Amino acid sequence: MPVDAPSVPNGAPRTRPDRKSAHPRRRRVVRQVIRYTLLTVGAIIVLFPIYMTVVNSLLAPNLLDRQPPLLFPVHPQWHTYATAWSQGHLGLYLRNSIIQTLIIVAGQVVTAVLAAYAFAFLRFPFRRTLFVVFLSTLMIPFEVTMITNLNTVNSLGWYNTFQGLTVPFLATGFGTFLLRQAFLQIPRDLEEAAALDGYGHWRFLLRVALPLARPTVAALAIFSFLGSWNQYLWPLLVTGDNNNIRTVQIGLKALQGNQLQDLNVTLAGAIIAVVPLFVLLVVFQKQLVRSLTAGAVK
Amino acid sequence: MRTGALALGVSALALVLAACGSSATSSSSSSSSSQALASSCPLSALAKAGKTVNIDFWEAMNQANGATLQKLTTQFNSSQPKVHVTLVDENSYTTIWQKYVAGLSSGQVPDLAQLTQTDLQSAIDTRSFLPAQSCITAAHYSTSDYVPRALSYYRVDGVQEALPFAVSNPVVYYNKQSFVAAGLNPNDPPATLSQYLSDAAALKAHGSGTALVLDSWHLETWLSTANQLFVNNGNGRTARATKAVFDTPTAKQIWTDLDQLVRSGDAATNPSSGPDAFDNLLGMGTGQYGMTIDSSADLGTITELLSSHPNVTLGVGPFPVLSTKLRGGVEPGGSAIYISNKVPAAQQAAAWEYETFLDSPSSQATWAAGTGYIPVRKSSVQTSTIQSLWATHPGFKVAYTQLVDGPTTLATTGAVLGPYAAARTDVIDAEESMYQQGVSPSTALKTALAKVNATITSYNQRVGTS
Amino acid sequence: MAPAEVGSRRVARRSRRLREAGLGYLLVLPALSVFGVFVFYPFFRNFKLALYQSPPYPGLPSHYVGLHQVGQVLTSSNFLQSLVTTFLFVVLVVPAGLLVGLFLAVVAHRKLRGIAAYRVIFSSTVVTSVAVSALVFYSLMNPVVGLLPWLGISPHPPVLESTTWALPAVAIMAVWQFIGLSFIIMSAGLQSISEEVLEAARVDGASNWTVFWRVTVPLLSPTLFFGVVVATIYAFQTFGQIDILIGYQNAAYEHVNVLVYNIYTTLVYGENSGRAAVMSIALFLITLVLTLLQLRFIERRVQYAR
Repeated sequence: MPVDAPSVPNGAPRTRPDRKSAHPRRRRVVRQVIRYTLLTVGAIIVLFPIYMTVVNSLLAPNLLDRQPPLLFPVHPQWHTYATAWSQGHLGLYLRNSIIQTLIIVAGQVVTAVLAAYAFAFLRFPFRRTLFVVFLSTLMIPFEVTMITNLNTVNSLGWYNTFQGLTVPFLATGFGTFLLRQAFLQIPRDLEEAAALDGYGHWRFLLRVALPLARPTVAALAIFSFLGSWNQYLWPLLVTGDNNNIRTVQIGLKALQGNQLQDLNVTLAGAIIAVVPLFVLLVVFQKQLVRSLTAGAVK
Repeated sequence: MRTGALALGVSALALVLAACGSSATSSSSSSSSSQALASSCPLSALAKAGKTVNIDFWEAMNQANGATLQKLTTQFNSSQPKVHVTLVDENSYTTIWQKYVAGLSSGQVPDLAQLTQTDLQSAIDTRSFLPAQSCITAAHYSTSDYVPRALSYYRVDGVQEALPFAVSNPVVYYNKQSFVAAGLNPNDPPATLSQYLSDAAALKAHGSGTALVLDSWHLETWLSTANQLFVNNGNGRTARATKAVFDTPTAKQIWTDLDQLVRSGDAATNPSSGPDAFDNLLGMGTGQYGMTIDSSADLGTITELLSSHPNVTLGVGPFPVLSTKLRGGVEPGGSAIYISNKVPAAQQAAAWEYETFLDSPSSQATWAAGTGYIPVRKSSVQTSTIQSLWATHPGFKVAYTQLVDGPTTLATTGAVLGPYAAARTDVIDAEESMYQQGVSPSTALKTALAKVNATITSYNQRVGTS
Repeated sequence: MAPAEVGSRRVARRSRRLREAGLGYLLVLPALSVFGVFVFYPFFRNFKLALYQSPPYPGLPSHYVGLHQVGQVLTSSNFLQSLVTTFLFVVLVVPAGLLVGLFLAVVAHRKLRGIAAYRVIFSSTVVTSVAVSALVFYSLMNPVVGLLPWLGISPHPPVLESTTWALPAVAIMAVWQFIGLSFIIMSAGLQSISEEVLEAARVDGASNWTVFWRVTVPLLSPTLFFGVVVATIYAFQTFGQIDILIGYQNAAYEHVNVLVYNIYTTLVYGENSGRAAVMSIALFLITLVLTLLQLRFIERRVQYAR
């Protein structure tokens, strides 16, 4: 409010200057219309590719090359989805993706919580150095390490296994950093009070620190969920044709045929793969936004 | 400040971990070079196995060829209880090779792999295959009945590395009806390159055309029919090839003729792989093309495809050599079967059992009849299967005859080099630049030679032989 | 206080400290060992691999060639073309991706009925995975199906096999996929700008347009900068889109062969880990510069805020 002070007369009602309120109602309506128009244009840009994918997935193959293109699915072929599901082994691939993702999310959350707790609450030699070491992992893109990681995984006999898919990702420098920040927000008094109550470190972590950092844990979980669900390069390297282990992303690539008559099946597969994530987006939007902007807000 | 600390931390770690990591690369150099030479064929392991030995065969046979291979394999599996073969269709030779090499790291290799002719030296260089020679010796297996050039293609430096399985070579496919329409004798396909050019011009003038697939066997095959080497050291057979030697007047003549064929508009070119690969053959069905050169391996599939086109009477002629006076012959193309030495002994022995079944005179007769490949056994030709096939479809005989004809020399046996696929890409790029950018044949040839030489040098360096 | 008592208390304190330190190391250990094996060891091994010429097939000896290989790779046309392609791709993706995100964030900034739905829609591409978006655009850019032939865009060879159009096509896809993240970042930035400052500017008589350019954009500059870094890193790591939409055997391959894809193909198809290691180090150095820029920027912003 103090910012407004110089230009607003004391005690005067906070209305706009006269020249702006000539036809306030009509202006507001016009503005609303413009805003909704822009919003809708934006929504169309974002949704159009997905919409066309849904349409094409439901069209009979012989309608796909219709000119002008059909913008609405005439005679929708719902069975295409059943075909994509069975022919593309999507049930199995989705299961694999879920297992892979759950292992990575759980692993990252656990290792990050433990390490962040140590960095925030415990004193030990080289703590700062070790923290810097953790942070420095953020500077090494995964692609830089894949040559040797592929070797390592192969020589451990982990090709085509969930170990191979997940173990390299069971720790996160970013997540540790986030959680440490969250832990540092916890008032010292609380720590001392807990100590007086005879809380050991484990009990303090589980009963006090973790519940208080829950939003950050959730953000980290979402972040690592998204990251591992969408992994493409690594699963491509460490899984072969073995259907028992392929993730859905790699399965989708395999579903991509060269034949026009298979295109609707391919696209149906893509839609099947994306629907669970849309549901997650709607449910966890807040946490998602939080995790993705964590680096910016610091 | 923080940046400084980070940099410090990173460099400190660098020192520590560099020390730990020093043993990293040396471990990969421990594989013994004597392994491939010392490996002997574990024939007795099959008898000792005591139960059915299951083996996997990575193959790349599609359509009619795939069906015939499946038929033979089923026959083999039901004929005896010791070995059971599972075919794994890998769709293309390229896929098999890439997956095999990747499998050497991950440990996922098949018992048997069907490798295309150009993979021969590479296969030797992986040191991961059991040379057929060791089993030939151990089993006292006689190879005297094999078509000599087909067999000797897979012999390098005196060692029989693999046994040929699906052998083919390029032949002329032509539509007899188009020949008649163009005023040509439908029973007289072009015997030489210059006749090929004049026939192409005649076809063009009468409404159909000629398709020239862009493939690097152009140069190789015309050179071998002129009895000339492609690379040095006896085409890479007496010692590892170190450079290409195809910068000869003969090669220049070949490319000059082909350049004229294409640039005059008498022939259209198309890529040898990708979605358009079969266009030239299919174009014969639509009447677009009256003539083309392609592998005899497609004969079975093409006969089937074109039988439904009333305006096509398929004729097959021998490869149009540069000159009938030069004593050469077509090099054998196609593929061979390799046994991996990375699998248990019983499986290696089982693989040998299956491989010799596929190469038996009767199997080869069935195989050749079903596919258009050449039977690799001379006695297959005497079977009623082949005799009746040749009687009804004389086209199937052409590729066999031209492979048996002519001398078996280092030139006609074909080249062996490690980076064969890359070298072929170099050659084809240069050939394409002639057609598309108007590069002169001699310049294109020089470019091809320089690129192939660079390819060979860098490969040989990586193998560690230069 | 008896000396013995002091001693025992000191011992107790020391043992408590020792236990605390032990616990500290124990808690750090799981993450640290993963980092050791799968981040630091492979990272530093690159520097060693770069000096060795790898055999063409696994399991064969590699040869020490020293810095020769490094120079050879860094000056090779393959690597240089790859760098050019990467930067071209960044230029195509980053500004467009950020502008679209900014536009949507501005439009969706006001509280309106149904705005929540729009926000979900705008951020939705965050959850469309690489494979899904690649397939979506694979059909949108199909030479026979859909829009392109209808719009009269039917080049030969088709867009996704064209040496000219393949990279822009992948870039369009990447921009679309980046919209979600871009929108989220820009929205967060806009929300952090205090409404009062804007109100003050408006009261001073500035038009909305002026307020946007003179007040909002400068205040948003930290967010924009962050966005540039994130977008650049995103563009640098584009892999799956190229692998699915174009691929190694495509005629346009060499023209979409960005650094990350080059490392992959060199490793997987070329079986050349030495060469790939040199390129990995180059990729690391480029990313390092980007990250340091980001750190420096955050530092400056922190000081500014004080």
